[in-house]
Amino acid sequence: MSFGPRSLAADDVLAGARPATRALGLYLHVPFCAYRCHYCAFNTAPLGDAAGTARFVAALRREIDGLGDLPWARDVMIATMFFGGGTPSTLAAGEIAAILDTVRARFTVAAAPEITVECNPESVDRARLEGYRAAGVSRISLGVQALDDAILATLGRRHGAREAADAFAACREAGVDNVSVDVMFGLPGLDLATWTRGVETILGWEPEHVSSYGLSLDPGSLWGATGIAGLPPEDTVVAQYRALAARAAAHGFEHYEISNHARPGRRSRHNLNYWRRGEYLAAGPGAAGFLGDLRYTNVKPLARYCALAEGGRLPVGEHEILTPRQALGERLILGLRTADGVPAAWLDERAAGEAALARRLDDWRARGLLLAAGDRARLSEEGFLLSDALFVELL
Amino acid sequence: MTLDRNRNFSIVAHIDHGKSTLADRLLALTGTMDAKKAVDQVLDSMDLERERGITIKAHTVRLLYRAKDGQEYTLNLIDTPGHVDFSYEVSRALAACEGALLIVDAAQGIEAQTLANFYLASDAGLTIIPVINKIDLPAADVEGTREQITETLDLDGTEALTISAKHGTGVPEVLEAIVARIPPPQGDPDAPLKALVFDSYYDSYQGVVIYVRLFEGRIRAGTRILLMSNGRTYDVQQVGVFTPGMKEVEQLDAGQVGYITASIKRVADAKVGETITEALRPTAEPFPGYRDAKPMVFAGLYPIEDTQYEGLRDALEKLRLNDPAFSYEPETSLALGYGFRCGFLGMLHMEIVQERLEREFDLALIVTAPSVQYRVLTTAGAVLDIDNPAKLPTPDKIEQMEEPYVRASVFVPTEYMTSIYKLAQDKRGEHRALEYLGKRVHIRFDFPLAEIVVDFYDKLKSISKGYASFDYEFADFRPSDLVKLDILLNGDPVDALSVIVHRDLAYEKGKSLVEKLRGVIPRQLFEVAIQAAIGSRVIARETVKAMGKNVTAKCYGGDITRKRKLLERQKEGKKRMKQVGKVEVPQEAFLTVLRS
Repeated sequence: MSFGPRSLAADDVLAGARPATRALGLYLHVPFCAYRCHYCAFNTAPLGDAAGTARFVAALRREIDGLGDLPWARDVMIATMFFGGGTPSTLAAGEIAAILDTVRARFTVAAAPEITVECNPESVDRARLEGYRAAGVSRISLGVQALDDAILATLGRRHGAREAADAFAACREAGVDNVSVDVMFGLPGLDLATWTRGVETILGWEPEHVSSYGLSLDPGSLWGATGIAGLPPEDTVVAQYRALAARAAAHGFEHYEISNHARPGRRSRHNLNYWRRGEYLAAGPGAAGFLGDLRYTNVKPLARYCALAEGGRLPVGEHEILTPRQALGERLILGLRTADGVPAAWLDERAAGEAALARRLDDWRARGLLLAAGDRARLSEEGFLLSDALFVELL
Repeated sequence: MTLDRNRNFSIVAHIDHGKSTLADRLLALTGTMDAKKAVDQVLDSMDLERERGITIKAHTVRLLYRAKDGQEYTLNLIDTPGHVDFSYEVSRALAACEGALLIVDAAQGIEAQTLANFYLASDAGLTIIPVINKIDLPAADVEGTREQITETLDLDGTEALTISAKHGTGVPEVLEAIVARIPPPQGDPDAPLKALVFDSYYDSYQGVVIYVRLFEGRIRAGTRILLMSNGRTYDVQQVGVFTPGMKEVEQLDAGQVGYITASIKRVADAKVGETITEALRPTAEPFPGYRDAKPMVFAGLYPIEDTQYEGLRDALEKLRLNDPAFSYEPETSLALGYGFRCGFLGMLHMEIVQERLEREFDLALIVTAPSVQYRVLTTAGAVLDIDNPAKLPTPDKIEQMEEPYVRASVFVPTEYMTSIYKLAQDKRGEHRALEYLGKRVHIRFDFPLAEIVVDFYDKLKSISKGYASFDYEFADFRPSDLVKLDILLNGDPVDALSVIVHRDLAYEKGKSLVEKLRGVIPRQLFEVAIQAAIGSRVIARETVKAMGKNVTAKCYGGDITRKRKLLERQKEGKKRMKQVGKVEVPQEAFLTVLRS
């Protein structure tokens, strides 16, 4: 399958982009969910019949083909891939394999690439996970979110704590040696003791990686529209954040990003690329990509996405070209999310000629929120908790 | 052209009674403006005037009208500002006329500004033609409005014209009435020149353009004129009339209205109310009633970015070229740094200047709580005018304090009387008189100006469901038991938040103020204590807790743009913050002070 020159010409946005580096990430968005969680504001689509899924997989592969036809496609290499969603684990192993085959056919893929699939506990079993692994998937990110069945029900999730533990065990049985567990804190009805017990249980499974997300009521989610009672007070939310950091550290995890903890050598390479402001391609409805000074997002509605891809078009929706000043702002607010921080010189460059910002940075240093580490600067654990207050100024 | 066929008139009305609509109709009917080209409300030419639906500057336009008697008449329409802040300007514009159309909304009846305008026109000795407008409205009560005119105003309501300016009904009769009822101007063109300045504005090419009404004599290019209030002399460059664009003419004669330019650099040199005469043959007496516009409300204007100080100074200088009614002088605030204390005619005037500074000069400003000017007699026997609470001497040095009072008129349906009296009591109003006008009452109060400058009008409107109308004029200074209320943030007084209040209200005011500030001051990295104090005595305290968390603990699938835009929106909000010590204080905080 190939794209005619005419259809490509309509997509100057990506054709005109110039990746600055050779190694790129590739984010693949699988929108299907069997149900929508009450807190979710992501671009999702109801899981329908097999034909609907097949149509999407075909469209996604056509999009990857189109990306492969871009004039610079032969000069780049895909180093990491990440299937996010939605619920990517609604795809059968054969579908994941077909998508990965298309990527390999159209792009150079690095040796030993990190390929992650986000999975919901109730949609995976050992056979499916073995199939993923055989297709080349090297990492599973398991959406556990909570280990209290009442709270899981409140979230609108359709698995219990038991299924989560089983799913984790299935990963191991399938031979997946790099598993990340997603958990959420600040949930309605979640007290510190329950949270801490849940954290201990999960750490007891000995995962390689833990991501913890604070609940926020985002526009676009059910709770963003209706609100939700029973949210813990701020003190409790902060205590939950700290409790995880402390326990994970005790288990040998590094708190390497605001929301992420990993055993040494097990950081998420795909996500690290975001935080280092590396470049990445996007495929799937609503997926976001970044190339050179271009940030873009694919169209979100699934039907429109499929129609565009089937018509031989790259389904790019919105895009923006960043100014050097915006680029520096991004580099800072992304880099400072990580424990590695940023070169101190970047902060100096940003604050040059802005006395108020320089004073603000001094204040953060004096309060121990911003630390010097050799020629780099990074946020402390306390700094992480307040980071947006600084990021607003750094933009 | 003889004076017999000249008429100089003005249109006055309560806000929204249809003044601008009628003016547009008169322009269209006399062919002054091609109806197709007519912009809505052509006389309100400043953007701000259109947006707010009020006239700020006076305007004038010459209409040529062929009356039923077959003669062509020159009708000079002199439009007047429509807000209580500008009543002096209104009085000068009316002084340039022989007659006025007093418009009354048939559905609303007489309102506070109707009455205020009636008095101004009456004091100026004008022939007043009552015009009942909006007769097309279902709620129109023409007969009731006629009765009100007869009873409340010293006019014959049966002689009122009935029109719908919106539909054009009755408007031709208005033109006939102007010709028939308003007397032609008098004046000897051979007498020494005597002309009244009723408006002026600065034009970067021609200098100040002065709107004049000639009462005696004549003026043409080359005439050497003398401005009688300041003794300055100039050579006239150009004379002309408004059609409505500026059109040069050879000369203006006694009785006529037009403009002159004379290479005058500043509007302040040819102020409203000024008398212009010939330098070589001056008239004996200037017009009575000239006065410098006196600012009544004062506030500090500070740039949010220190680097904009020079820009603010230049902008104020430019604005003042066109608006001598506002004053400014440099001042320093411990909290806000370098800025200016500005004086305004009233709150509307202040908002207009602030908006123009922000829009036309792209400045980001902090405006401190408005203050009136207090008169302080010190123990040393000196009298000080204090327009900035931070400058008030300490209590031990004050013998007595006085504050400005106004005479106010409120028109309101009887069912809202109780709430109006309650509001008046809260605002330290002193009841003066009550008059029943059918279903409505006219209540007169004296108020301390400080109590009505900020949100009085809004409150009045809200408790009367919009039916109350309000007007006031300055009365006098009266002794008052006043104290300075200081606001402290983390123990440091913020001079720009200090306010002068009546002692009896100080406790409540302080309490309400710190509560409001707590809602307005965002959480910071540290706890912020907000205290209200009189001298060293703290009377109220609130705390803004330290920020516990402010973090996006979430993965956003590589959609960095979304995250950045969220933060960028927050950053926009922060541009309105001023760093006071270590505390970030939003602009809103400074206006909270009088609204609490």
